[in-house]
Amino acid sequence: MNKGKIFKLAKGFRGRAKNCIRIARERVEKALQYSYRDRRTKKRDMRSLWIQRINAGTRIHGVNYGNFMHGLMKENIQLNRKVLSELSMHEPHSFKSLVDISRSAFPGNKNVVPAPQKKGLQILV
Amino acid sequence: MAASTTATLSLCSSFATHCKISQNLQTPSTYFSFPSLSLSSSHKLSSCSSRRPTFPLLTKSSESDSAVVVEAEFQAPEPEAGPDDSEPAALQVVETPSSEAPKREQLFAVVMIGGRQYIVIPGRFIYTQRLKGANVNDKIVLNKVLLVGTKTSTYIGKPVVTNAAVHAVVEEQGLNDKVVVFKYKKKKNYRRNIGHRQPNTRIRITAVTGYQDYPAVTLES
Repeated sequence: MNKGKIFKLAKGFRGRAKNCIRIARERVEKALQYSYRDRRTKKRDMRSLWIQRINAGTRIHGVNYGNFMHGLMKENIQLNRKVLSELSMHEPHSFKSLVDISRSAFPGNKNVVPAPQKKGLQILV
Repeated sequence: MAASTTATLSLCSSFATHCKISQNLQTPSTYFSFPSLSLSSSHKLSSCSSRRPTFPLLTKSSESDSAVVVEAEFQAPEPEAGPDDSEPAALQVVETPSSEAPKREQLFAVVMIGGRQYIVIPGRFIYTQRLKGANVNDKIVLNKVLLVGTKTSTYIGKPVVTNAAVHAVVEEQGLNDKVVVFKYKKKKNYRRNIGHRQPNTRIRITAVTGYQDYPAVTLES
């Protein structure tokens, strides 16, 4: 029942694309092509998101993402970026110990101090 | 309390399923009688929230990546709650019913299965790639433990925490949801429509052992 399947996949489409078979067929084919392509790009997007999160988490402690990962590689810690981003969000103390390990493993990073916090308008009050 | 309860239920499907299973085992009689259905459902809710208190931060996790991991809703990224000062209200609200639930040791581990890493908590289940040769109700020992975290200390493996093992039980060998693989080239009359279901295995984690002798990093909590 090809038409039935097409309409089932076309639920939520805009305008005649959910009701009229000629238009729905085209839109559903396009949607399936996009899903094929995006299953591959989803992996790239997620990795990029994890890297952003790790970057944010390490910069709180004064280390940037590149140096952090370099230090982890040197120490042979093989946690992947997904797990590291989860730890940075939910396990702040474990993540801080990871940052400390990385900082000590990477020479030249030892005396990094987090940038002084910029004061807001509160100082005028 | 109600808001946090509904929030917990909506955000963590795997945990809700786990809750439901245990509830059915404990109260089979209430399941069948209609007038007490509301009672059992509210009991489910309260027991779900009672399990929750040890992991309040879990509800905040936007688990799109957890969905990818468990993809199973891949993996279950369920780290334990660190003592986080930013959420004292949520902790207090959820902690009051926790005294009723049996105390469970609060720890998590990062384990590598099938080339993928999962954050694992005892008592929960995760979906992994199909483990060949494992039958239902088999006990499994996972040796590639990359990190173990308890409430007071973290054991970071380089790359593996030596002698640490995660014990699990195979619950079910099933298939993932169907994915439609549609290949199409325009103006060339080429289209292929293929359905695909990836085999998976659901395993329930029972315990994490053997990490105590490893040099630990004590957290300043």
